[in-house]
Amino acid sequence: MRIERLLVGAGKALAVAAILFWSLFPILFIAISSLKPGQDIFAVPPKWLFTPTLKHYAELWRSWGVFFEALLNSLLITVGATLLAIVASACAGYVYSRHSSRWLSASIVGLIVVRLIPPIVVTLPLFPIVNALGLSDTHLVLILLYATFFVSLGTVLMRTFMDQIPRELDEAASIDGASRMTILFKVIAPLAMPGVLAVAVFVIVFSWNEFLFAFIFTATRAKTAPLVISEMIGSIDGVDWGILFAASTVQLVPVLLFVVFMNRYLVAGLTAGSTKG
Amino acid sequence: MQSERTARILPLLAPVHLLILSVIVLPSLYVIWLSLNTSSFGQAPSFVGVQNYMRVLADPAFHSALLNTVVLVVVAVHLELAVGLGMALLFASGLPFRRFLLVAVLAPYAVSEVTAVVMWRFLFDPDAGPVTLALRALSLPTLDWSFEPSHAMVLIGLLTVWLHLPFTFVIVYAARLAIPAELYEAARIDGATRWQAFRRVTLPLLGPAMLIALLFRYIFAFRLFSEAWLLTKGGPARSTEVVAIYLYQEAFSFNAFGSAAATAWIMVVVSLLLAGGYVLLLRRGGISHAH
Repeated sequence: MRIERLLVGAGKALAVAAILFWSLFPILFIAISSLKPGQDIFAVPPKWLFTPTLKHYAELWRSWGVFFEALLNSLLITVGATLLAIVASACAGYVYSRHSSRWLSASIVGLIVVRLIPPIVVTLPLFPIVNALGLSDTHLVLILLYATFFVSLGTVLMRTFMDQIPRELDEAASIDGASRMTILFKVIAPLAMPGVLAVAVFVIVFSWNEFLFAFIFTATRAKTAPLVISEMIGSIDGVDWGILFAASTVQLVPVLLFVVFMNRYLVAGLTAGSTKG
Repeated sequence: MQSERTARILPLLAPVHLLILSVIVLPSLYVIWLSLNTSSFGQAPSFVGVQNYMRVLADPAFHSALLNTVVLVVVAVHLELAVGLGMALLFASGLPFRRFLLVAVLAPYAVSEVTAVVMWRFLFDPDAGPVTLALRALSLPTLDWSFEPSHAMVLIGLLTVWLHLPFTFVIVYAARLAIPAELYEAARIDGATRWQAFRRVTLPLLGPAMLIALLFRYIFAFRLFSEAWLLTKGGPARSTEVVAIYLYQEAFSFNAFGSAAATAWIMVVVSLLLAGGYVLLLRRGGISHAH
């Protein structure tokens, strides 16, 4: 009996080790390698003891200034898309939570269906339109695209979280003379904060990391960080892996920390978003 | 009364619906019109009926892209579900430091496709990649992904499983946590073995959640673009193209907007068919166990 328990324990420990290795090794590997001096990156077997250096980061700063401009673009676009998506989703989610009619339930099915259209499909007609409107290579076009591809999920999530807030609060505030907007933003939104944060996690991670739209709709002025990294991969012969690791680490660390701190909201959002329709 | 209510709620609904209409719905409908015409830049479109669809469906490059995509979706998504299920059961069986482990498993969710490609490209670098070297040291076969198309597809599959396992795991794990402990207690009292408890309690109750995870992942894997594009650009000689890359090439490399649009609608129809199953499931309310 004791032996069996021991074996089960050992098996579990092994499985946990495998899971940790699978999930974290690629991330730790590039983060650590970005600090390795020159040739140590390619050392066989890999060197785990070395004198850390910021050489690759300095090199990145010197020869890829465009990367840091792109980081700023990514930040602006992420903030813009997140604000837009949250405000729009909160407004619509509130209506879906507090009202019901045949039209409303039909339109929420529409929202779910729209979520399933592949983003690459809309690039075809939007590409000439965006050019004609002079919006090509602007922050605005990516903000609109990123926000739009998340407002349907955002609305469904906000509705789910707002459903848990008692309607009596709306009524009480309304008797006190509060307007609809005041009720939504002063009473409901603060209580629906977990929902707001869940939506924020989705939009922030998506906007910060997105590649396809940035690849098609930006060229120089509004280029995002993932796009610049992809250009570094493309010129792999000219660029050494050290700089690529440094850039990848800089792009990854903020969003990784964000996901780590927000993991509760991410889990809540993922489960509510896929099961509540 | 009715119209007064409508007037009050419309401004709140407007932003979401205007965005979706102008950015997704109308452009998607316009794609239908595009797909029935031949057109490229600076050239007036002319109506050709379903000719673009015939052309795409007869194109060997499309066949190979479709085959790559279907194999990738079927293998990667089911593998992902099996691993995700195993992990969910392991977590539910009681682990120390569970919150830390959960966060570790979620970590790849934060990684962009671009950064993931940097990682996996280096790990599997044919000359200096640590994984390649480790496999070689163990005399195991290595992935020659830059020359061998099937090896490249394996790498794309691994990469996509790595990026999306957190999603599948969380869905299945949340459903597992929602199963009341009393059911296992009852099964134990009835003399059920562990396997019987898994077979008769866990699996049926996880069914709906696993189906949801599968459908979502089918739909999202079917549109896969970035991982494959950043690893191989569809090459060598278009052998590792997936449907989304085929579409991109038609539109932006060959300037054939008509056949690109036809491909786009083929993608939409496949996605909606998969989605139809999902909505049907929601309507039946079969998902009530899943959260």
